[in-house]
Amino acid sequence: MSVSTMEAALLLAGVLFMLGLISVLIRRNIIFMLISVEIMLNAAGLAFIVAGSKWVQPDGQVMFIFILTMAAAEVSVGLALILQIYHQLKTLDSDAANFMKG
Amino acid sequence: MSQTDFLHLMPLLILTVAALVNMLVIAAWRNHKIIYVITAVSFVAAFLSLFELRGITAYAIDPLFVIDGFGVFYIGLILATALLISMLSYAYFEQREEQKEEYYILLILSTLGACTLVISTHFASLFLGLEVLSVALYSLISYLRTRERSDEAGIKYLILAAFSSAFLLFGMALVYFSVGTMTFAGIATAMSGLQELPLLLLTGFGMMIIGIGFKLSVVPFHMWTPDVYEGAPAPVTAFIATVSKAGVLGIMIRFFLEVDGFRYPTLITIFTIVAISSMIAGNLLALMQKNVKRILAYSSISHLGYLLVAFLAGNQMGVEAITFYLVAYFITTVGAFGVVAMLSDKERDAELLEDYRGLLWRRPWTATAFTAMLLSLAGIPLTAGFVGKFYILAAGVSTQLWLLVAMLVLNSVIGLYYYIKVIAVMFQQPETEAETPKKRLRPSIYLASVGTLVVLTLLLLIVGVYPAALVEIIQNVFATAPEMVAR
Repeated sequence: MSVSTMEAALLLAGVLFMLGLISVLIRRNIIFMLISVEIMLNAAGLAFIVAGSKWVQPDGQVMFIFILTMAAAEVSVGLALILQIYHQLKTLDSDAANFMKG
Repeated sequence: MSQTDFLHLMPLLILTVAALVNMLVIAAWRNHKIIYVITAVSFVAAFLSLFELRGITAYAIDPLFVIDGFGVFYIGLILATALLISMLSYAYFEQREEQKEEYYILLILSTLGACTLVISTHFASLFLGLEVLSVALYSLISYLRTRERSDEAGIKYLILAAFSSAFLLFGMALVYFSVGTMTFAGIATAMSGLQELPLLLLTGFGMMIIGIGFKLSVVPFHMWTPDVYEGAPAPVTAFIATVSKAGVLGIMIRFFLEVDGFRYPTLITIFTIVAISSMIAGNLLALMQKNVKRILAYSSISHLGYLLVAFLAGNQMGVEAITFYLVAYFITTVGAFGVVAMLSDKERDAELLEDYRGLLWRRPWTATAFTAMLLSLAGIPLTAGFVGKFYILAAGVSTQLWLLVAMLVLNSVIGLYYYIKVIAVMFQQPETEAETPKKRLRPSIYLASVGTLVVLTLLLLIVGVYPAALVEIIQNVFATAPEMVAR
């Protein structure tokens, strides 16, 4: 691949990252916030793969597998917490789960 | 990996094994005391195994780790703090009926993550260390799940930590895209010819700073700090305030010195703004709080600002000052949260200022220890905090950072006010007769907590009155790691 396709691919990763960033900021449902964060993480993973293939090294894909594993661990803890919150509040609105202020 | 590699990684291996042993023991026989003893012994064993590595120059396990004097000292600091926190945790969790054994597994795992961080020399090991630290922390924060605020604190920390990890990762990917290697040494070589940072690399560094800034809870990435400090159990709060920040700060110093990031005015400007706003915002917001945990949270934000002043000095003295200040700050913070943990009852933590009214008359020794800790946080002479702050000032003056030094002095004065306010509340006569004390555990359970608090208070005074011993240790450590202080 030529360098320009590499930069296009990096741009795609950047756009995905921005989409995730915007949606984590505007979404109020905790599950959707979690999904948006996952999109950001995977965008970073995509950027690593692009960088790895630019330098023809496996390192980028290795990092992607690390990211995937970490995201899975994070989601499992996150969903457990969300279940707890739902049991207590009967809603997943992040504004409802905001008692601590100041 | 060769046998010597394993020997050099002994502290990390001990922690890994301890986590597994704890898990198996819990499966066989659930007993708080046994798990607690295993945990404490493994921390001590890991700490002692560091003495084998004393005086080491730099042993590289390419490409992921390097074990040098700096790393050994930080691992030692992290392990000692984790040990003290586990001591304080025993009585705290003993009075709560929930399943308390798994707490220690998580504590060991996040300590392992912090230790991995400070010896990393590669993005992959940096990332792994950081995530082992954070994922264990999510569960630790929301560990007392029947408390209404713990879930909220846990999910807030989880979303924001994952959010900041994404920034860090994207930044790392951009740096990798520009230079073609993920080792710190490789990045340093690639950057050595650059006078100005190209846009892609600058964006990468900027995003990494955002990621690191969240973990360090510096302004403007500090929003989660007070909520998480308030919602988490007191020993876990102590852990977040100390161990997790030491790990992240350690890797930040290592990376920045290695790639010599101080050459670039843009990065210096970013850090200067962050440092000044952390000091000011942390102190001003702390003035308005009525909750002791939140006061300590905002005070930790401003303390991170002080640490960045020494970081910006960027010379050997700056690194020494950071290390000294961290030691002093850890003694103080663990002590302060230890007092909060001691005073907490089954339902909630003793976090409101009201809980401390007249404490001096009810529990004079605890109040004295807490007063000593608060005075040290404020930086009053004869305490460790004063010497630490003095060291940072000296480092700032040595590199003519006049603006930062002036802000530091000004903020120390503002900070004094809210520390004194807490102390004043403790000295007030209680208005009403104290209610009958709630059912407490056998006094022997509190032995470990009381002992730890005594040790911490003594350390605080010893470091404050006779800092030369600690300074000498720190200087020796950095003398054996020449490439760290090449500047």
